[in-house]
Amino acid sequence: MNQKEFFLGVTAMLPLLLGVVPFGLVFGVLGISSGLTETETILMSSIVFAGASQVVFVQLWAAGSAYFVIGSSVALINLRHVLYSASVAEYLKKLSFKWRIILGYLLTDESFAVSIKRLSTHGESRPVHFFMLGSGLTLWLAWQISTIAGVIAGSTIPENWELAFAIPLTFIAIVVPLLKNTPTIICALISCLIAIFGQSLPWNTWIIVAALGGILAGASIEKWKPRK
Amino acid sequence: MIWLVMVLTGLINFIFRISMFSGFRNIHLPPSFHRYVSYVPISVLSAIIASSLVTHNGHEISYDVGKLVAAFIAVACALLTKSVSVTLIVGLITVWII
Repeated sequence: MNQKEFFLGVTAMLPLLLGVVPFGLVFGVLGISSGLTETETILMSSIVFAGASQVVFVQLWAAGSAYFVIGSSVALINLRHVLYSASVAEYLKKLSFKWRIILGYLLTDESFAVSIKRLSTHGESRPVHFFMLGSGLTLWLAWQISTIAGVIAGSTIPENWELAFAIPLTFIAIVVPLLKNTPTIICALISCLIAIFGQSLPWNTWIIVAALGGILAGASIEKWKPRK
Repeated sequence: MIWLVMVLTGLINFIFRISMFSGFRNIHLPPSFHRYVSYVPISVLSAIIASSLVTHNGHEISYDVGKLVAAFIAVACALLTKSVSVTLIVGLITVWII
């Protein structure tokens, strides 16, 4: 156990928890208000362990969507983890199977963001896998605790507080800073339009159609007019 | 049934996460993969935002003015502060007031 690297990882993650904790609370509240039990909501945070996709899972589940729609939406949202996995892989080649399983499970947007810096600057000289473990575990714990707190709040806060509205608000806070150029803005607009006008599509497939439409629009525009 | 779906989706997530350092190192990602994946979060989250603000039943559009106003204020707030907590609190307070 390399405590220095571990605690460097913990400290690097702390500022990011400001965005994670409210999201975990919101997810906990949403789970309960969508009719999931406390156990289901809390355990989803460790079984699925991916914020936005958990929210989509619960919303689609509550709307009675087909299982393949839920599964493919969650998979689509989490496809980005393949890229993270590819980026960290070269630094983790020498690790044992057990280590790779643990670090793989803990790989998230936030832990990737803080770890990749450390891996690329100190990957050769330091036991950076302890850094990844420290940052990953910190995020994991914060996500579990905030989910539990949200579940408790969700069972006590009255419905007229409109806490379900916290979901679109949280997503606005995540998406708006990402809209930096034409392709990203067009991607968001196309997706919004399909989401609104596709709502009568069967089995709630509007979410997949809207997502794919936005992705295709954004990626094609970028291809014609590459980002600088 | 929810447990089965939950465990299966959890498994898919886990496979994605360990995909590149699990031993299957020969997988090559096409260069366009990165381009497409970079639009996934924006696209999916925008779809959810829109569907929770405006609904369309095949004939007519319906929406809640208070929520639309709160959403626009939240967009401004996100642009200015880039903070999840501030955007969340300001948006919720707006929808309570209206």
